[in-house]
Amino acid sequence: MSFLHPLALIGLAAAAIPALLHLLHRRTPPEVDFPAVRYLTAAERESARRLKLRHLLLLVLRTALVIAIVLAAARPLVPMRAGGAHEPTALVVVLDNSPSAGAIVEGRATLERLRRVARASIASATTADRLWLVMADGVVRGGGRDALLAIVDSAGVDARRLDLAAVVGRAARVADAEPAPAREVHVVSDLQRTALGVGRAEIPTSVRVLVLAPGGAPPPNRGVAQAQVAEGVVNLTLSGTPGALPVPATVRWRGREAGRVLAGPGDAASVPLPPGPPGWSVGEAELEPDELRADDRRLFAARIAPAARVAAGPGAGPFVEAALGVLRQGRRIDVGSDVTIGDRPGPGVTVVLPPDDPALVGQVNRALAARGIPWRLEGGGTPGVVASEALEMIAGGTVRRRYRLVGATDSAAVLARVHGEPWLVRDDETVLVGSRLDTAWTSLPATPAFVPFVDALVNRVARGEAPIRTAEGVPRVEFERRAADTVGATVFGLDARESDLTPASPALGERVLGGAVLSEAQLAAARFAGARRADASGWLLLLALVLALAEVAVAILTR
Amino acid sequence: MTPQSRLDLLDPAEVARLGGIEIVAAGVVEGFLAGLHRSPFRGFSVEFTEHRAYQPGDELRYVDWRILARSDRLFVKQFEEETNLRAMILVDASRSMAWRGAPQRLTKRAYADRLAAALALVLLRQRDATGLVTFDDAVRQVVPARVKAGQWARLVRGLLDTPDGRGTAAHAALRHLTSLLTRRGMVLLLSDLLFDPDLALTALRYLRHRGHQVIVYHLMDPAELALEGPPEARFRDLESDVSVVVRPRELAQAYAQTVARAITQWRVACRRQGIAYHHVTTDTPFGMALRLLA
Repeated sequence: MSFLHPLALIGLAAAAIPALLHLLHRRTPPEVDFPAVRYLTAAERESARRLKLRHLLLLVLRTALVIAIVLAAARPLVPMRAGGAHEPTALVVVLDNSPSAGAIVEGRATLERLRRVARASIASATTADRLWLVMADGVVRGGGRDALLAIVDSAGVDARRLDLAAVVGRAARVADAEPAPAREVHVVSDLQRTALGVGRAEIPTSVRVLVLAPGGAPPPNRGVAQAQVAEGVVNLTLSGTPGALPVPATVRWRGREAGRVLAGPGDAASVPLPPGPPGWSVGEAELEPDELRADDRRLFAARIAPAARVAAGPGAGPFVEAALGVLRQGRRIDVGSDVTIGDRPGPGVTVVLPPDDPALVGQVNRALAARGIPWRLEGGGTPGVVASEALEMIAGGTVRRRYRLVGATDSAAVLARVHGEPWLVRDDETVLVGSRLDTAWTSLPATPAFVPFVDALVNRVARGEAPIRTAEGVPRVEFERRAADTVGATVFGLDARESDLTPASPALGERVLGGAVLSEAQLAAARFAGARRADASGWLLLLALVLALAEVAVAILTR
Repeated sequence: MTPQSRLDLLDPAEVARLGGIEIVAAGVVEGFLAGLHRSPFRGFSVEFTEHRAYQPGDELRYVDWRILARSDRLFVKQFEEETNLRAMILVDASRSMAWRGAPQRLTKRAYADRLAAALALVLLRQRDATGLVTFDDAVRQVVPARVKAGQWARLVRGLLDTPDGRGTAAHAALRHLTSLLTRRGMVLLLSDLLFDPDLALTALRYLRHRGHQVIVYHLMDPAELALEGPPEARFRDLESDVSVVVRPRELAQAYAQTVARAITQWRVACRRQGIAYHHVTTDTPFGMALRLLA
């Protein structure tokens, strides 16, 4: 049993009042002269048992009356199997308003159903409960019932994905930390299979987790999982409910339709972008509308840079010069001195190759140091295979000879490695390569990737590539500016996993989330069931009334 | 004499305010006899002895009609044995008798004194030899039974000279009385009977065996019939200092039943012994108490 107003129990001390009054009253009775004491004594002797019983009965009734009133004031909560209120509970409601909650299932928005259930959970709470609400933003909101109900009522679909296993584990820890007689976590979610994440939620034994079961069969859904521009082409990847039919995907670029492809979940497609003037542009890939609109459109950004003006410096080597010639023919580069490639650091943007003569290495290092480049060439580099994520075309290429690039510790500056050691690094306007681009040093000049590699080296790497990052959020593009230049962009979009509306099986949900997966009706019945309590104050007041009547009856009838 | 002016029918306390015992008793007896149609104490003998002037209350059958016819004056005939009745009035003077439940009432002792005086006056007017014994835990005053003039005054003085005593030992007093009553006669006991009933009944039974007519006036204050008082009180016995703490409201019913049972026991026990028993409360008009003997 627990009490809503336990401080009122202090009043139980008043239960001693009848006994104290009885004792105090007996202490100094007035003295009365009376001749017929012999009759009085006889009557008292004959009535002694009755009077003792009467006194005891009255004392018990009056004490019980006081106790009943005090207990009623303390608002006791007694355990009940059904109905009634519940004892103070620490309740965390997890409302999954991630993008998938925007899906229309069987003609109704999933979020409406989730809000209704979450609202019922919070509305069932009493003032003695401690409440928290966690939504897709991951913020644990504590507050009163009315405040949280207002938040639930105003909750919309969030652009962020909710990792249910992680959030439920955190919610359980929040509830467990609260010194309440009962602790519950209500997971109100569409229970997407992909939302369960990896691993399992760690649920303390004192916390009861109730998980809402999915409401109905999920609709087939497709979404644009990825749209990225590379080499003048938009590469699309679609995600969604497995088995969903392909749908047309339209790519728009600079306000015009750049192309259209037919693709389904898991498919990849490419749409070439039309040439255009240099600069930043934002495009979009859009699918035909389906039950989940949020993932039907994805933005992408691309920067069209002007052709670099490149000059081959001394020691560039024949293979580099040949590649530059090919690039000039293809208008990928122009004649000029914006970028110099050779075995000496130049005044501007320079791609520095190791000198063919080892005796000149010290001169190169001094020149690098003079330009403030923290990297230098050192001998002793062993042959190996190139590994690079930034320049995929050279990954796997063989390096027969190389210098070790040592000096800085900034791993972000390393663009390619051999045996884990830097092989291609960039620092400000200087790009340093660990091997000469010659077949005696590396196999790259003999591979088809060599020209694209040189293209990337002079157009992107040497001049500084503007990074385009992706992030989770409301679809938009945010540009990163440095002075008047736009030096990068972040493309926000939904997590691709939200497109797969396939619900998790109850067994999977129970295993991962550590709680029972229940239908809406079952959840309503099970809500606070472990702590269901009834306010017994009404019964106690009734009992007090009965006791009062009994006391009056005993006092009158046994007089 | 109208009923409103008859002292025997008025409230005893109001009557007592008129004066001393003599005045009260005389007034009461006068009123009593005026309203009496038949003398309660008739002589046992039928042998005529003398005439005496008619007094209110005398039975008309004893009026000598011849004298009335000759002299137009009322005389009654008296018989030899009428003067031979010896009545002894026993008045309980114990401390319990000196109690009254309300200031406006007479104490039991005061009531008993006035009733005894009235009884004595009635008896003496009938020329019955009347005596008095007052007692508490011992016999305090003894006025032998006489019929001569001034006897009533002696009886009244005997009452006045007896202070309120302490304990009650009616048994001893009654035993002593038996030695005083050598001839058969009437014994009137005026007491609240708050003593050991077995011992008292033994003495009364002895008197009955000696041939006495015994009449018991059980005097009680009305407050002794119904227990009242503060919510809780220590009730202390006047004679024995025994005390008991009770709540009158709780015990009132049981007490009333106990008192009623005690009265019944006295009545039954007296009846078995041929003793006349009369329960009288101190708010009973004296005339009503006197009439109990009729």
